[in-house]
Amino acid sequence: MPMNENNERDPQAGGNFADKVKTGSDACIDIKKLNLYYSKDIHALRDISLSIPRNKVTAFIGPSGCGKSSLLRCFNRMNDLIDDCHIKGKIRIDGDDIYDKRIDVADLRRRVGMVFQKPNPFPKSVYENVAYGLRIQGINSRRILDEVVEDALRAAALWDEVKDRLDDSALELSGGQQQRLVIARTIAVEPEVLLLDEPASSLDPISTLRIEELINELRASYSILIVTHNMQQAARVSDFAAFMDMGRLVEFDSTNTLFTNPSERQTEDYITGRYG
Amino acid sequence: MSQADNSTFTAAERLRERALGRRKYREALDRAAAVTISLGGIGILATLVLLLVYLIYVVRPLFVPAEISSVVSFSAAPSQAARLPPVLLSMDERTETILRLDQSGQFSWIDLGGESVVQTSRLPVAQSAEISAVALISGEPALLAIGLDSGEVLLVSAEYGAAAGPESGARNLPRSLSYPFGRLPLLTTSGSVSGLAISQQRNELQVVAVGANGQIELATGSRQSSLTALLDPASLPEYEWSVARFEAQVSDATRVFIDGDHQYVFALDANDRLSAFSIRALHEGGDESFSSDSIANQPGKVMDAEMLAGGRSLMIADDQGQVSQWFIDVSDGGLLLHQARVFQAAMIPLDQIESEQRRKNVAVVDVDGVFRLFNTTADRLLTEQALVDEEIEAMTLSPRGDLLLTESESGQFLAYPIDSPHPEISWSALWERVWYEDYAEPAYVWQSSASGDVYEPKYSLMPLTFGTLKAAFYAMLLAAPLAVCGAIFTGYFMAPGMRRTVKPLVELMEAMPTVVLGFLAGLWLAPFVEQNLLGVFALVILLPVTILTASVAWMFLPKWVRHRTPEGWEAALLVPVVILGSWFALWVAGPFESWLFGGDIKAWLGSELGLAYDQRNSMIVGFAMGFAVIPTIFSIAEDAIFTVPRQLSSGSLALGATPWQTLSQVVLPMASPGIFSALMIGLGRAVGETMIVLMATGNTPIMDINLFEGMRTLAANIAVEVPETDVNSSHYRILFLSTLVLFAFTFIVNTIAEVVRQRLRRRYSVI
Repeated sequence: MPMNENNERDPQAGGNFADKVKTGSDACIDIKKLNLYYSKDIHALRDISLSIPRNKVTAFIGPSGCGKSSLLRCFNRMNDLIDDCHIKGKIRIDGDDIYDKRIDVADLRRRVGMVFQKPNPFPKSVYENVAYGLRIQGINSRRILDEVVEDALRAAALWDEVKDRLDDSALELSGGQQQRLVIARTIAVEPEVLLLDEPASSLDPISTLRIEELINELRASYSILIVTHNMQQAARVSDFAAFMDMGRLVEFDSTNTLFTNPSERQTEDYITGRYG
Repeated sequence: MSQADNSTFTAAERLRERALGRRKYREALDRAAAVTISLGGIGILATLVLLLVYLIYVVRPLFVPAEISSVVSFSAAPSQAARLPPVLLSMDERTETILRLDQSGQFSWIDLGGESVVQTSRLPVAQSAEISAVALISGEPALLAIGLDSGEVLLVSAEYGAAAGPESGARNLPRSLSYPFGRLPLLTTSGSVSGLAISQQRNELQVVAVGANGQIELATGSRQSSLTALLDPASLPEYEWSVARFEAQVSDATRVFIDGDHQYVFALDANDRLSAFSIRALHEGGDESFSSDSIANQPGKVMDAEMLAGGRSLMIADDQGQVSQWFIDVSDGGLLLHQARVFQAAMIPLDQIESEQRRKNVAVVDVDGVFRLFNTTADRLLTEQALVDEEIEAMTLSPRGDLLLTESESGQFLAYPIDSPHPEISWSALWERVWYEDYAEPAYVWQSSASGDVYEPKYSLMPLTFGTLKAAFYAMLLAAPLAVCGAIFTGYFMAPGMRRTVKPLVELMEAMPTVVLGFLAGLWLAPFVEQNLLGVFALVILLPVTILTASVAWMFLPKWVRHRTPEGWEAALLVPVVILGSWFALWVAGPFESWLFGGDIKAWLGSELGLAYDQRNSMIVGFAMGFAVIPTIFSIAEDAIFTVPRQLSSGSLALGATPWQTLSQVVLPMASPGIFSALMIGLGRAVGETMIVLMATGNTPIMDINLFEGMRTLAANIAVEVPETDVNSSHYRILFLSTLVLFAFTFIVNTIAEVVRQRLRRRYSVI
């Protein structure tokens, strides 16, 4: 096991920040002693305990390879798709242990929507992209689909741009539009939680701005978890922020506090750009 | 200081120069690469085009119409007054010498090159005698039967002769007449001889003559062949003659014929009624005769008639301008005539008909003197040519069919060289049902060679094309589902570790030489399947059932067993299941066969379902060629599925889709161009595959969809027959044509594949 300075300096690291931080609302996701192994040797997440508040935006920041994306992928069990990947500890979403064997993974993923780093619309029409989540649930009524597609596209602030080209291929949209389409596709199935894995990192500044505006509009209805490399973005959009390093949760606090008065020196170093 | 400046300057200069040199070198390299690559590409295209051009160049003569080129016209008669009308014209093999016989019995040898009479000789008959009928067996010497108005029939042998010279070698034969059967008349009819026929088959000679009042005389000469005769033709024994004489029931019989098998004499009377008389019965003193009014019932009146080469069908030219081919079928039931085909040669009456000696070509001349050449097998008009305005008194086709010679009433000879190397080939002969001689009905037949001299070639490409498609169909029936399902499993579900082993292993199957596969299929699999037919059926049914059962059982296994198996490796557990299942299927088949099918399922298939069972059959080819095609399809399809971006399947899964939904809604549509081209390339390979079908099909060119019968494919046919064909023969060119057909097949399949692939790719193009 590699040495970790942080471990010596702060025995609390990896402890339950939920107890310490007053989030001001009830917890949506409750993580207890979460450990993730990609194989016998690769220990990607270490003893993470955290309570993520409901209907808030929580940002995960940290250097590359710190495990923030891995953590995000634990919430909708996307790590299941990776060979030899296993998990210890508990994650509860609305009280349900999502790694319980009675949990239907497909249903969990509907409840916990995810948007990836690169826009990944299906090679189908705009309409079919948004309707996809409903169709796989067996909903094929044109009336319902029309309604849901319009609502989702409006919610994703895309409706005005694509309402005349619903039958065009989604691949003809611009990158930013595609990413908003993916968000619309995700919220069409009415998830409780939205996982955004660096949603704007492959987009131009204007598209990024639109995505951030969109996050602001969605925060009332969804618990949003966002992984980002962009400090300013985290500061702009999130209510709470978690700083991770080397698979550990170093600090979790309200964004204001974390960015202005971090309790850990490591966090401060990272935020101020002194991080080696 | 200045020195230092200088050195920096030169250093910079040197650097710049070196950079320049490098850039030049790189540019040169770029250009060289561009040129090499372009040359390679153009070279490949050029090779392909060259190949196609060569194939077309070889095949083209098949479809070029026959051509009559520059006419040679000359007059060989000394004077118009001394000239008597000819009764016979004939030519030698090399079309050097013409043999002409006139009414009075005067033979003239005319040198075609010198355009003059080089010799004459007279039959030993009375000055007043007149020739009323003549029949000929072509050859060198030619054998003539000459019927006189006195009723006598003479046999004369005429030697064309050949000039001594380097080309003709040692041959220096005099132009002469000889009498191998004596100078006495062979037959004597009452009244003048009105019809005469002569035919030779091996060691039997038939001469038949019909007299004025319908009396028919038949002389059959036969001799024993012996081994010494083979070595020394001169030691051949003499013919022994037997003569039969009988009254035909029909009067005014004007034409007589002998069939190719020397079984019947046919007589056509003035009312166009055809009668057949059994030669054997006549010699035994009996009377076995039949007659038919079929020809008489036709609207046209017979103007001339002749047997087609081979002596199996009768060609009739009538006054309606039609040439019709009649198949003669004499059986116990009587004489049956089938009108196989009709050519509407002209709208005016026809005058003369002449069959070519070796091919199924027939020449007719109408009353206006227009010559037309038809081929019966190809069912087509080869060429037509207006001859001279005067009446044509005699015409003849050279033995090879390459020269037409006519003599008109003014004594003018006209020689028309005919260029018709492949008369028997036409679109209909290749692709449509053809009514061949001796066949009960029109059929698709590929039979490129036979023992007989005068053989009607059967070059229908349909059985071969059908066989090709049949083999490809059964191979794809096995290979397509297995390969595509295997590719889906490997590309989408299988653990990467297992995939790294499985994929190269399947691709290794492709490296197996197909000759080895064909060898195994023909020599091991075919007998094995024959002996365990029910076992193989049981295998086909039981194996999927076993695999499904095992999969269901797997879900109910205790958790610790399941968790011991790494994810994605479950398929490996199926290997023992498949082996056990196969063994069980083969083992259980034995008792079942004796219980249900009386111990022999092949006999049961034959008697109950009417299915013949060949050892080398489509099922074997399906297995073996399926095995050869699977890796091709698998490899390409697997790549297509595996390369569907993970982010798309992740995106689908993240929306709550099950793996199956993700597979069918996202992965398969995106991989569909690749899967489609995999199937098409597999099909192309199955169509062009040679060695497996050559060794495992039995090579029977039949058209039957039956799973248990073999076939012959275009590719295998080429492999089998190319070594034994004569260069530039029709057969040779047809084999090239079949390569073109094969080429067209793969071209069409690949084009469709590419078009559909492009369309699918545009539709499902990746970001």
